[in-house]
Amino acid sequence: MSDDILSPEARQAIEKLGQADIVIGIPSYNNGRTIGHVVRAAQAGLNKYFPEFRGVIINSDGGSKDDTRRQVLEAQLDPAQLLLVETPLHPVHRLSFPYHGIPGKGSAFRMIFRMARDLGAKACAVVDSDLRSITPEWIDLLVRPVVHRGYDFVAPYYHRHKYDGTITNSIVYPLTRALYGQRIRQPIGGDFGLSGAVLETYLARKDWETDVARYGIDIWMTTIAVARGFKVCQSFLGAKLHDAKDPGADLSAMLQQVVGSVFALMIEFRDVWMRVHGSRDVELFGFRYDVGLDPIPVNLDRMVQAFVRGEADLREVWSMALSDATLRELGAIARAARSAPAAAFRISDELWVSVIYEFASAYAELPTARTHLVRSLTPLYLGRVASFVNETRDMNAAEVEERIEQLCLAFERLKPFLVERWGGPRVDEFRPRPAPAAGKPQEVSS
Amino acid sequence: MIETFRQVLEQSVARLSAQATMYLPSLFVAIVVFGVAWIAALLVRWLLLHAFKGERVDAFLRRTGIGTMLDHSGRLRASPLMAHAIYYAILLIGLLNAISVFDTDITRDIVDGVVHLLPKLLAAGAIILGGIWLAQYLGRGALVWASNEGFPWARRFCAFVRVVVVFVSIVVAADVLNFARTVFFSAFLIFSIGAVVAACLVLALNHREVYRWFASSRGRDAETGSERSLWHHL
Repeated sequence: MSDDILSPEARQAIEKLGQADIVIGIPSYNNGRTIGHVVRAAQAGLNKYFPEFRGVIINSDGGSKDDTRRQVLEAQLDPAQLLLVETPLHPVHRLSFPYHGIPGKGSAFRMIFRMARDLGAKACAVVDSDLRSITPEWIDLLVRPVVHRGYDFVAPYYHRHKYDGTITNSIVYPLTRALYGQRIRQPIGGDFGLSGAVLETYLARKDWETDVARYGIDIWMTTIAVARGFKVCQSFLGAKLHDAKDPGADLSAMLQQVVGSVFALMIEFRDVWMRVHGSRDVELFGFRYDVGLDPIPVNLDRMVQAFVRGEADLREVWSMALSDATLRELGAIARAARSAPAAAFRISDELWVSVIYEFASAYAELPTARTHLVRSLTPLYLGRVASFVNETRDMNAAEVEERIEQLCLAFERLKPFLVERWGGPRVDEFRPRPAPAAGKPQEVSS
Repeated sequence: MIETFRQVLEQSVARLSAQATMYLPSLFVAIVVFGVAWIAALLVRWLLLHAFKGERVDAFLRRTGIGTMLDHSGRLRASPLMAHAIYYAILLIGLLNAISVFDTDITRDIVDGVVHLLPKLLAAGAIILGGIWLAQYLGRGALVWASNEGFPWARRFCAFVRVVVVFVSIVVAADVLNFARTVFFSAFLIFSIGAVVAACLVLALNHREVYRWFASSRGRDAETGSERSLWHHL
């Protein structure tokens, strides 16, 4: 691999440090407001839980205009507040460098992984720079399974508000679980623990300059770890609270990067997921407890309007992927939504699973239309979120989790149709529909 | 008078008989040549339809979207496409050979003209086909973008993009054929100016709707306090 992903300053720092046992990576872009807290939490975590190890905190910055890098280098920790039982044998070094290449989280991770490998790190953890809820225990929970239990990949497990993580809940978690058979609840959580072996695998790959360079990185890391047979576990981290500031991308671009990465990896790991049936639990570490969560506002009317507008405008694009039967069902739902209140809007699990599977299959089959296909999913996704909001309005967290479980089971149940039709031409009907009862109008999923 | 008439008639018959003697064998040979070419074309078409599966070409046509572009039902298959293309190519070669049998100035001009024009015609055809494909691609991109942005006339915008791209490809093809260059270039200029004027008129007549769309799309970015943050999707 060429050395140009590391700046001369970064290479000098590696030479100066020589070796490190644990690397904590923090990607950033204009996170001066929150990154100081994240760095202090990481430093405290290394001092408190890994006093015998050499720890380094590396900030990989995307050219922040604010004082992000200064905050990293100046973050101070008062050791007296930590009440340490063991005095750390080694100081925790803090480094901050700008990364090169396509601007995005993936490129930032690439630099961190490269530095971790060159430092000979046994374990690496990456955490977001805008976290408000990170504590030193997060470092322990992400690193310990790698250092002491031989795991290669530690995924996060959080408590989240029922309307938080909707791409995760409606697409990425159920789809990844059905495909690869492992129930990793937060596959795009953003905070991970990694072994040196898995880092080597990531760095050896040639697809860093794709959507992986941006928001596709999280699902890319999780999928490769699972599909390549690395030892995977989860750690309960409590609540995940972000800074309110939005990332600099629009929803369709974000969806394209995340879902496009899932679909692209489906092509690569076709032989792996086609053999998988059902799913199994993945070991979960950490002490589970309930936490209070920030409420998340949703604008139901806007989401339903986006779906109805999309159904009117994007039929031409959808018809490249969706079967006639699925298109008819979506059309019926859109017609009903024009006259019915938004609170009555529904997209059934079976229909949603068909939509995702049919898009995945078309993504493999139509290389020249991939970007358009995945971006045209946006109104369908917003419709599904609106339906989920309606269904779970009065549900508590456990009931919502049960509802998500039902969706996952629908993904697993309909997987044989995906296997059968994968990469083939568009069909009139993706899955068999129950015949309408005699003398009764056919029900649509609204 | 009658003698003169008889002489003229005899001369005409003699000329006709001389021409028939000269051209009838050529005509016969031309018919035979064309007939052989036709039989060969039929044979090759039959063979291609029955022996050539063309699965890879089918996959290529489907994956690139050319299949659906040429046949909206998406049922276009490589085997009949290739068979018909080769059938007409053999027929054309046979026809040119048949014409060249006469070996006259006119037939030589016709054969030379077709032989010289054919590469240009093929290039122009490829340009128009490529233009239609590009129009489909860019139009689809414009449609998805406009719809996701909540643009009020997404489909019209898509159609406009397609018309512009196809028109440009026709202008380029006409230029390759050296056919009505000035006419097409003038039409292109008039069309471009017309499109700008039409866009201005649309904006002026629908300024309230445009402003509402613009304000709502800006508002969507600004009011993160009352809307879900993008982070909440991940």
